[in-house]
Amino acid sequence: MSSLNASLATALSGLQAEQGALEATTNNVANANTPGYSREVPVLETSDPVTIGSLTFGTGVTLESIESIRDPILESQIQQETQTQGQLNSLVSALQQTQTTFSSTTGDIGTAISNFFSSINQLATSPADLSLRQGVLTAADNLASAFNAAANNLTEQRTNLDDSVEQTVGQINQLTGQIAQLNGQINQAENAGGTGGTLIDQRTELIDQLSSLVDVSVIPTGNTLTLTTAAGTALVAGQQSFQLSTQTNSSGEQDVYSGSTDITSTIVSGQLGGILQARDQQIPSLQNQLDTLAAGLANAVNGVQTAGYDLNGAQGTDLFAPPPGGGAGAAASMSVAITDPSLIAASSDGTSGDNSNANAMYALSNQAIVDGQSPSDYYSGIVFNVGNAVSNATAEQSASNLMLQQLDDQRSAVSGVSLNEEAANMIQYQQAYAASAQVITAINDMMYDVINMTTLTT
Amino acid sequence: MRVNPNPLPDLLSALEQTQQQINTDEQQVASGQSVNVPSDNPANAAMLVQNANQTAETDQYLRSIGSIQGEMQNADSTLSSVVTVLQRAISLGTEGANGTNNVSDRQAIANELEGIQSQLVGLANLSYQGNYVFAGTATQTAPYVLDANSPSGVDYVGNSETNQIAVGDNLNVQTNLPGSELFSNSGNDVFQAIQDLITSLQSGTNISGAVGEVSSAYNYINTQRVFYGNAIDQLNTQQTYLNSETTQLAQQQTNLGGTNLPQAITNLESSETADQATLEVISQTQQNNLFSYLGR
Repeated sequence: MSSLNASLATALSGLQAEQGALEATTNNVANANTPGYSREVPVLETSDPVTIGSLTFGTGVTLESIESIRDPILESQIQQETQTQGQLNSLVSALQQTQTTFSSTTGDIGTAISNFFSSINQLATSPADLSLRQGVLTAADNLASAFNAAANNLTEQRTNLDDSVEQTVGQINQLTGQIAQLNGQINQAENAGGTGGTLIDQRTELIDQLSSLVDVSVIPTGNTLTLTTAAGTALVAGQQSFQLSTQTNSSGEQDVYSGSTDITSTIVSGQLGGILQARDQQIPSLQNQLDTLAAGLANAVNGVQTAGYDLNGAQGTDLFAPPPGGGAGAAASMSVAITDPSLIAASSDGTSGDNSNANAMYALSNQAIVDGQSPSDYYSGIVFNVGNAVSNATAEQSASNLMLQQLDDQRSAVSGVSLNEEAANMIQYQQAYAASAQVITAINDMMYDVINMTTLTT
Repeated sequence: MRVNPNPLPDLLSALEQTQQQINTDEQQVASGQSVNVPSDNPANAAMLVQNANQTAETDQYLRSIGSIQGEMQNADSTLSSVVTVLQRAISLGTEGANGTNNVSDRQAIANELEGIQSQLVGLANLSYQGNYVFAGTATQTAPYVLDANSPSGVDYVGNSETNQIAVGDNLNVQTNLPGSELFSNSGNDVFQAIQDLITSLQSGTNISGAVGEVSSAYNYINTQRVFYGNAIDQLNTQQTYLNSETTQLAQQQTNLGGTNLPQAITNLESSETADQATLEVISQTQQNNLFSYLGR
């Protein structure tokens, strides 16, 4: 046989449970626009029944927990794609800057090469003409300047990317520190019997941010998470974060270290991966090609120049300052070694009116003097390589953006707050609350009846 | 099945894309170029580099041809004058061979011929834009100097070298005839012939033989002129060819990297329309939800 008090308690549990459920709705509505927030769902369970004699009575409802709805697999996919996107974003940005150096303008290398050889052909029409000789020197100067400018642009870009390495490492360290701290808080909350709740949402959001910066592997470990780079370098383990540092290497650029280990070449994704790829692979490759072109041209021209005779009948001397052995830095240091126009060796036999050596110098423009190609063919190859790299990276970036967008849509479908849903829930909980309150009122009336049952009316 | 309750990020992303497309189309219309940076079309960008190089080469060949044509035309007209002068010498010589002349008559003719010799030296020392044209490759010094001790009365101090110049990808043309071949070729030395005529007039012997020598020198010069005639023709032909090359290269450049303006403007208009439509969709997506209907 039940008692009124028991009924009261049961109705009360209803009030409390509905009110608690409404908390979840309230929190969802408040956080409808919070990035990374996963909607909360109250878990209502029937309380254990009691058996008295042959009757079983229910004891109401318990709000077991408030669960955050999230899909860990989706989140993991989003983190992966965020890393790819971060890497492609910084790569595309760097390469787009690089390709402006190789776009066709009046001062570009291709034009300078053409003008140089044109001036030599013109000289061949009248090899003793000092103004035509000066024309060759001027064209050679412009050619050297064009190479210098291009080399400087690439070097400057490398420096900027280098600065970004340091900045990005700083941001990474900040994030890993915050994640470690959250790990501690989540651990505490769960040990106390609760769930991580919105703390886990915050941590997921931070891991997403970290993913855009560097490649991250997330390994659930017991109650907590371990984060490492894709190559296995530890970033966060439980409450401890492992800071990355930078050290200057022999080229004067920043290498990324974890403790005393150089991990620079192991970082392949995220913004840091993209920056390192641009700084350590793409741009050096371009610098290399530029140097090959400059050195090839300078050496070939010098070879013809020194085989001939100048206007004074003396053996020719180098037109361009000899490029460094091995070619590295040839473009940055290219310069014209002659200022006196009479020193151009147009003649093959010392006669001032002979133009055979000038003809030989002109013929270089169509000879395979740069790595098996003519100078302008080689330069057009560089233009193609740069354009192709940008074009490919941009296409991959678009694909990655689309993929990420779809994944985000899916996550939103699972974890996003739908105001319609929350409104409907709110109505539901509110009505149940009102009903429980009515029940309590009825029980109260019944108690009054009981108490006043034996009152004598006089 | 739950649907994504927040479509706004997707719409904004679509807006960004339409904006990007507008930017690209605007740039193409404004610059007239469809390839503004290599990544717009890497293969075409590379071909445009080679096109520019070939265009510059062709322009230079045309310039060089212009320079040489000038020199050759000068040389040719000078040879025409030489021929005229030699005709005068021949008629003088023929006159001198007439037996009715006496010593002083012949001396008078000889004197005129001395003047003709000087004239020939002047013509042979033709200078064009700072270069002696008939000196071989020793172009900075006058090739013929008067020398009383020389049998022909002059010395040739030039050389017998010739120059060539590239006026096409596989076309080199010889640009000069040295005086050693033209005027002082052994067996056809024009100065020797005139000198011999002068001597024979002064001595009164073998005048007709000397006139014959001048005649064959005259014939020889006429044959040599063919070189200049042919060279000028060849240059003219090459010039015509290069001009049509220039047109073709310009056409190729437009094909590779130019904007088809009507098409680009149409693209721009449709991009702007798409952008407008996206904006309207976004503004119409009012976030109507159940809360607004609960009357609270």
